[in-house]
Amino acid sequence: MITINNLTKKFGSKTAVQIEDYSVNDGEMIGLVGNNGAGKTTLFRLILDLLKPDTGSISIEGIDVNKSEDWKKFTGAFIDDGFLIDYLTPEEYFYFIGKIYGLKKQEVDERLTPFDRFMNGEVIGQKKFIRNFSAGNKQKIGIISAMIRYPKFLILDEPFNFLDPSSQSIIKHLLKSYNEKYQATIIISSHNLNHTVDICPRIALQEKGSIIRDITNENNSAEKELEDYFEVSE
Amino acid sequence: MIFNELRKHRKLASKRNPMYEKNKFGKFWVYIGAAFWAAYLIFFGIIFPSLFEETSPNMEPYYIMNGSILIFILIADFLFRFAFQQTPTQEVKPYLLLPIKKKRLIDFLLIRSGLSSYNYIWLFLFIPFSFLTITKYFGFWGVFTYCLGIWLLMIINNYWYLFCKTLIDEHICWIILPIVIYGAVISSLFIPKESLLFYILLDIGNGYIEGNLLYFIGTIIIIAFFWLANRQLMNKLIYAELSKTKDNKVKHISEFHFFEIYGEIGEFMRLEIKMLLRNKRPKTSFNMILVAVVIFSAALSFTDVYDSSGNMKLFIIVYAFIVFAMTTLLTIMGYEGNYLDGLMSCKETIRSLLQAKYYMYSLFELLPLILMLPAIITGKITFLSVISIMFFTVGFMYFLFFQLAVYNNNTEPLNEKLTGRQSGGKSRRLIVSFAAFIIPMVLYNLFIALMGEVMGEIILLFIGLGFMLTSRLWINNIYQRVMKNRYKNMEGFRDSRV
Repeated sequence: MITINNLTKKFGSKTAVQIEDYSVNDGEMIGLVGNNGAGKTTLFRLILDLLKPDTGSISIEGIDVNKSEDWKKFTGAFIDDGFLIDYLTPEEYFYFIGKIYGLKKQEVDERLTPFDRFMNGEVIGQKKFIRNFSAGNKQKIGIISAMIRYPKFLILDEPFNFLDPSSQSIIKHLLKSYNEKYQATIIISSHNLNHTVDICPRIALQEKGSIIRDITNENNSAEKELEDYFEVSE
Repeated sequence: MIFNELRKHRKLASKRNPMYEKNKFGKFWVYIGAAFWAAYLIFFGIIFPSLFEETSPNMEPYYIMNGSILIFILIADFLFRFAFQQTPTQEVKPYLLLPIKKKRLIDFLLIRSGLSSYNYIWLFLFIPFSFLTITKYFGFWGVFTYCLGIWLLMIINNYWYLFCKTLIDEHICWIILPIVIYGAVISSLFIPKESLLFYILLDIGNGYIEGNLLYFIGTIIIIAFFWLANRQLMNKLIYAELSKTKDNKVKHISEFHFFEIYGEIGEFMRLEIKMLLRNKRPKTSFNMILVAVVIFSAALSFTDVYDSSGNMKLFIIVYAFIVFAMTTLLTIMGYEGNYLDGLMSCKETIRSLLQAKYYMYSLFELLPLILMLPAIITGKITFLSVISIMFFTVGFMYFLFFQLAVYNNNTEPLNEKLTGRQSGGKSRRLIVSFAAFIIPMVLYNLFIALMGEVMGEIILLFIGLGFMLTSRLWINNIYQRVMKNRYKNMEGFRDSRV
């Protein structure tokens, strides 16, 4: 699904991303973990062609991301507020995204149904523009907007940020079932090791721009290794 | 000490603006544009003396300048400031939590605004003018004191503008204040026929030329008055702004279903109109422009103020059509910079966005057309002249405005007003906005001189039509170039996002 070759991105003298060779298979769900400044968000921006790599290439389904836009048809992503059109209401925003992906309003409404619990009655029908929602609800709007297009490839940067505990639990299950139901390839980044270990069978540990460990996580087997690495054990 | 720190921050803000480092070509044109504008003013400063001598041989040219023209220069200066000058309070926010008295901050920002190089611009006109007209009676000292007086008047204009702009930012209804004041001033120049204001202005000008200290003291007192008024107002409004709650609930959400039938482009047209109606900054500038065009149109239609000057009539027509588009198209993509990452992660949305913008702003030009109808009906201007400028604007001028989509990479804050930061890239906008007025006027006059009025206007109309009919082609070309420039632009948008 995704192939990264000889990828580097520097900001001044600092190397933000340096990945020689990495690939993600169809239907995989990968957790990207790493300390602040490890280059996780930069890697996502490079994958989404929002940044120009200094060297190397990224291809999604064989399409070089900076040579064609065709991969955008089956890719959904949410990184930060910069993805949200904040003077729309959430409904308007979902319909807008739906329209771009050729969905009718009714289809968008149907696709929103599985997110009812996640939205907890605080998103739809509020007569509020997105800019007036709390950080947590903005996060929910961003995640849903990335998922309602039913992408084959989904990227979410820190999806658990700003969410209350029950919403964190719900989104974990939603992501897991989405991955299983649609055989979608999902990459999420997170500082929450427990959540990442809970839902991601494969975990990439990124430090100083490089993926230093590619961990297979079966039955939370990666938990100990990650806790040791991040020194979070008692 | 704090003054020096803030001065340093100002310098850093402009030096570290993404535009400063990244656009050497733009900087080159900034200097060219500035030189061009200075030359333009010097040119007027040189031709005015002989022009005034011809029109009023019994009066000294500086009498005409002081009694009749100066007030219009001050009004023009006031209007230009809306496009290029921000209120100092927009820079206060980052310092509000520091242990510095707010009044000191505002004082500094007001001083800096008063000493701004912008206030010297008109001296390019007044220095040559006064050299040619004043030296023979009052020597170089007269030139110096006169130009000093003019500079002080520009400082008054500066603070008067800041006062009005701060109030207008608070509520659009305050626009009535400058309208009433300037309406009264202009009326009193023409009614009664022996205008008292003419003699007052004449007297003030003479006071400056003669270096009469009382006139300078009077001017400085007025500056001090506006200073204090601004200080009080800004101090009060900063608190009001900080304690203000957001528009949490919206009573009525307009859907603009009409656009749904136009597919993805219709969706972007709907997005554009929502952007204009739901965000303070574009909404305020749109409203202000509407008011200005209504006033100009009314003055043109129902008074004889502009009857004697064909170029002034032409300017009003050009202004009405250009300014509507210019409010948003000068910063094209700038508002979208707030959410461009999201748009860029969807396929070819930028092409649809540009097309939607083109159709939307073309439709908006019906508004100035309607506003020009009274002047057409009253016979002040011809229908063909209006239509030719409209088509030329929607065709050729939009073609030029849309080129900025390739280069603009500064995010424009959608709702910032009192306590926001400044956005960059002003100089290029300054040049383009001057060019936007000059190009149609020059071409219009050129075609008319070469081919007569009707044929000249028809040619202008067909040039516009040509660009309109080929809009899909050149928009596609712009889209391709936007995509080529995307990394640089997205970085700029990200860096300048508030």
